Amino acid sequence: MLDPVEYAILSQSLIAAAREMGVKLIRSAYSTILREARDGSAALLDAQGNTVAQAELIPMQLGSIGRIFQPCAAMFPPETLEEGDFLVINDPYSGGQHLQDVFFFHPIFFEGQVIGFAASVAHHLDIGGGSPGLNASAQDLYAEGIIIPPMKVNMQRDWHGGGFQRLLRANVRVPQQTMGDFDAQIAANNVGALRVQELAKRYGVAKVTETMAALQDYSETRMRAAIREVPDGTYKGEAFLDDDGLGSGPLPVRATVTVRGDSIEVDFAGTAPQVRTNVNAPFASVISSAVSCLKGALTSPDIPFNDGSLRPITVKAPKGSLLNPNHPAPVRARMISVSRAWNAVMAAVAQAAPEKAIAQGYDTTTAFCLSYLGEKGWSVYLEVYGGGYGAGFGNDGCDAVDNPLSNCSNTPVEAMDQDFSFFRVTDYSLRMDSCGAGQWRGGAGFQRSYEILTDNAQVAHYSDRFEGHAAGLFGGGPGASGSCEILRDGEVIRLRSKDAFQLRRGDVVTIRLGGGGGYGDPALRPPEAMRRDAEDGIVSAERAAAWAAG
Amino acid sequence: MRVGIEVGGTFTDLVAVERGEVRVVKVPSTPRSPDIGAFNALEVAGIAPGAVTDLVHGSTVATNAILERRGAEIAFIATAGFRDILFMQRHDRRQIYDLHYRKPVPPVRRRDCFEVVERIGSGGEVLLALDEETVRRDLIPALRAGGYGAVAICLLSAYAEPVHEKRLRAIIADAIPGVRIACSHEVAPEFREFERASTTALSAYVQPVIDGYLDRFEAALGKAGFSGHFSVMQSNGGRIPAVAMRSNAISALLSGPAAGVVGAIRQAGRSERGNLITFDMGGTSTDVALVRDGLPSLAPETEVDGLPIRTPVLDINTVGAGGGSLVWIDDGGMLRVGPRSAGADPGPACYGRGGTQPTVTDAHVVRGTIRPDAFLGGGMKLDANAAHKAFESIAGRLGMNVREAAAAAIRLAVANIVRAIQLVSTERGRDPRDYALLPFGGAGPLLAAEIAEELGIREILVPPNPGVISALGLLSADYAMAQGVTRRMPLDNDAPGALLAEHGRFREAAGRAFASMGLEGALEHTLEVDMRFVGQAFEIPVAVDPGHLPSLTAADLGDRFAEAHQRVYLHGGEPGRTVELVGLRFGVRHPLEALPEVRERASNLSRPEAAEVTTGGRVVAARLADAASLLEGEAVIGPALVEGYSSTTWVPPGWRIARDGAGNMLMRKEG
Repeated sequence: MLDPVEYAILSQSLIAAAREMGVKLIRSAYSTILREARDGSAALLDAQGNTVAQAELIPMQLGSIGRIFQPCAAMFPPETLEEGDFLVINDPYSGGQHLQDVFFFHPIFFEGQVIGFAASVAHHLDIGGGSPGLNASAQDLYAEGIIIPPMKVNMQRDWHGGGFQRLLRANVRVPQQTMGDFDAQIAANNVGALRVQELAKRYGVAKVTETMAALQDYSETRMRAAIREVPDGTYKGEAFLDDDGLGSGPLPVRATVTVRGDSIEVDFAGTAPQVRTNVNAPFASVISSAVSCLKGALTSPDIPFNDGSLRPITVKAPKGSLLNPNHPAPVRARMISVSRAWNAVMAAVAQAAPEKAIAQGYDTTTAFCLSYLGEKGWSVYLEVYGGGYGAGFGNDGCDAVDNPLSNCSNTPVEAMDQDFSFFRVTDYSLRMDSCGAGQWRGGAGFQRSYEILTDNAQVAHYSDRFEGHAAGLFGGGPGASGSCEILRDGEVIRLRSKDAFQLRRGDVVTIRLGGGGGYGDPALRPPEAMRRDAEDGIVSAERAAAWAAG
Repeated sequence: MRVGIEVGGTFTDLVAVERGEVRVVKVPSTPRSPDIGAFNALEVAGIAPGAVTDLVHGSTVATNAILERRGAEIAFIATAGFRDILFMQRHDRRQIYDLHYRKPVPPVRRRDCFEVVERIGSGGEVLLALDEETVRRDLIPALRAGGYGAVAICLLSAYAEPVHEKRLRAIIADAIPGVRIACSHEVAPEFREFERASTTALSAYVQPVIDGYLDRFEAALGKAGFSGHFSVMQSNGGRIPAVAMRSNAISALLSGPAAGVVGAIRQAGRSERGNLITFDMGGTSTDVALVRDGLPSLAPETEVDGLPIRTPVLDINTVGAGGGSLVWIDDGGMLRVGPRSAGADPGPACYGRGGTQPTVTDAHVVRGTIRPDAFLGGGMKLDANAAHKAFESIAGRLGMNVREAAAAAIRLAVANIVRAIQLVSTERGRDPRDYALLPFGGAGPLLAAEIAEELGIREILVPPNPGVISALGLLSADYAMAQGVTRRMPLDNDAPGALLAEHGRFREAAGRAFASMGLEGALEHTLEVDMRFVGQAFEIPVAVDPGHLPSLTAADLGDRFAEAHQRVYLHGGEPGRTVELVGLRFGVRHPLEALPEVRERASNLSRPEAAEVTTGGRVVAARLADAASLLEGEAVIGPALVEGYSSTTWVPPGWRIARDGAGNMLMRKEG
């Protein structure tokens, strides 16, 4: 029997171990997308593959890491694993997310038994496919990169110069970085395994195992306690994607959220059917999205996220829809659709618990990729941008920050100057009047400009809300739209929200990220806050006057 | 006479040394004007400032100026297109599920951020010359109109080539005589523009506050007849003459915890212990640090109020676990200790100032390791009943009795500190069992043995007067400077020569700087080389003895880096990966002569033979001993409480403690 003190100590130690895994993943990484943007995550799982503790890096990757493990375990049961084995998957149609997110699961052995798994995932800069970094025109999954179904890999046999490692190396355009990032994932998992083994040695396996279970129960208990405070009922919300990138017009994402006692069901029936482009979202990512939204809105941020937090929540999405596509629909830009899923769930929450909800932020993951094939091989730059955050009760939305489902850092301009010679950043600034009006205003959007220094470079990106806006809540106004433009010889070329384009020396590419929606009636905004934003150039004098007039 | 005065949040501590005699005084701090508390301490100690030859001062003035936002109104100048660096930050959120997240607030308003047209490349080449005409036409009038207390300049790639920052400074200084100007190439000459800009802006922000404080302090000293050396503590663990702080205020941040580590190192050195894990447990938090071979490690970066500061600081990890930390049960039924604290007011329940929530100090009272009659040498009576009462509700919810609940709280406090120590040891590939534990601060020695048990540490060194180690650290700090620079180069056969040349330049500059401060004599140099595999962004510091630079080979450096990478990341990279040097961290010290031995301050408390203490689930009779009367060679066998004026040491069963020849108490696990 676990005493409450040992339980508290062991559970905090597991959380600390997961956090250390995350730190080591980022700090030993090679690509800017992992080491600077920190687009990776790490977690500890119990012997059955349920998430126990995680390094809080990217909500999207974490929400369903345990679910992604299951297809691997089904094929390679833990008891059949040997020392040195680990499991790998990136296939969205076998439980993964998108191909760029490659998951590694290392069994944690103690006295010959598997007592848990150390898991890490990283967004890889390039994983092959039809175009470096991201293939905006992929018609199916095969064009998006190399597909790794659930695989059992052995470190000695298949990695250090072995077949699996060589296969991967041969299929990626920037092996120095991609293979280095895989090594960082292995380092993170080894550290996690070592820490759990140390705990097992110190406290005994039984107590570690019991704590793993108890920690999930703990998160479940706190999750259920928070859900009980929400009035029972059925609440509906919706949000729209601009289009599929081929001119389809707005695509709806609809959520029906049913609160009953201490559990919640989220059903995305009524969502648009799947499309031919890469904005389809595999179901694992939809679960992450719905659960992350409910956790953020309803519970205290200090509840550790693990499989216990998922138990009170059921998520459904119709097969063949944007949120549960059929194989082999392309899924690279899934973040766009799952962000709308997040918005739709939040819109439903706003009816059930108005003060806990926030307005829509720009909430659009903009993956922006510049690439160039030179004499020394490919040079690939990929950055993930957010925008202005949605305002909430008592709180202005954050300016220029990543979206709720993501948490990528920017790449320092000086790091780009060192690493890339085919472009140079010339502007990185907040956009005036991009924030939604409100008693609490939305976050301001921002823009970045890149001067292209060579011919034959290319830009590829996906984004959204180039047409639509982040909606305000309870009388708040919408945030500004985004855009991507190329200035060439004095002329402006406007790109679509999901696009690719060949560049010439001298081109200036400007990506503009939109603002967040406001919360509450702008006429109620305190005059000193209005004045401050006007004097700081966040809001123009004309717009400020319009807000005050209501 | 040599005097160290450390101003802390609650107390101002003074340690004075004269002809082998040591005086120790603790007086309440005066947060509004910390200098008043400092002069009070001198008065209480009966020291005339005229008799002081060497005064070393540490204070929280710089840190508090940021936390309380009482710095100067400043202007910030960036390369055209980048005036929003301080607001963009790194685009991430520290709490990923917090929907009401707010970014750390920079010390400058957006309207006070300006741009100049110029651009320098990463190799230091001028891509676009500084447009001086618009500087004179637009920027200068705006700066004049703003009436700023200081100006911060951070231009892109200035770490590689400072020519534009220098020119801009000259133009501004010429146009607006006397205005304080902080340049990023001097404050933090390292790449990553946000972190460098943040450091430069904060330096400008606190400089006028520090200047004003030191002006006042020096004037008061002068009036009182002081004519000795006046120096101040830095976050890197060294001191500098107060006059040098006038151009480098950022180095004053977080100097308090640094002084404690320095004092601990000095005191341990007397007992010939160089490998230490220090932990300083105070009222609201605990600071831990790892020391190897008598040298603390420096971290390249720290943070105040969420804002990054890129300056060498002693690598100290702080956790919210102190004597005043609250013990509570969260809504998931888990027992927690901290990070919230009862603070100084009302303080722990046992202080009898109206506090009703249990704290770690109350847990000590309940389990018997703090005796209500012996607190602060009997100077402050504690209310044991209030402590018991405070634990009743938690005990009820956990199905325990009050003593068990208090013991549980202590175990959790220990676990919190153990994790903090693991962060600076095991996470960096250092085995804590290879180190001696050195507890200080009022609450440190009470938990030291239990922390050592958890970590497998077998030796604990308890210094005399653990409550005033920081003030002792001021007195025993060397004059020191530290500087990190970005110098990116491949690890090839040219690298050792480049290192030698770079270090030669620093050595020369440091020599001049120390001479200008009136510090003659030999200097001790240290050098760390930040290295990484090509493609990585985070470097691993590799220590190099500057004396060995002439014979250093690229292969040596590569081996040392591989060893360090293996230690931290459990692998050394694939064969064939190339390695590069990214930065150099120079350190230089002007070593100080030895201090006389410090003795425990005597107390005249009469105490019974033994007291009841709950430990390991049972109640034992702990021997009581007076720390000041424990003589060299004398040992006390646990269970025992060794009580001093500012702190009590808990010696659990199975441990013994003895005074060594250096004045420290050495506690060891028996068997």
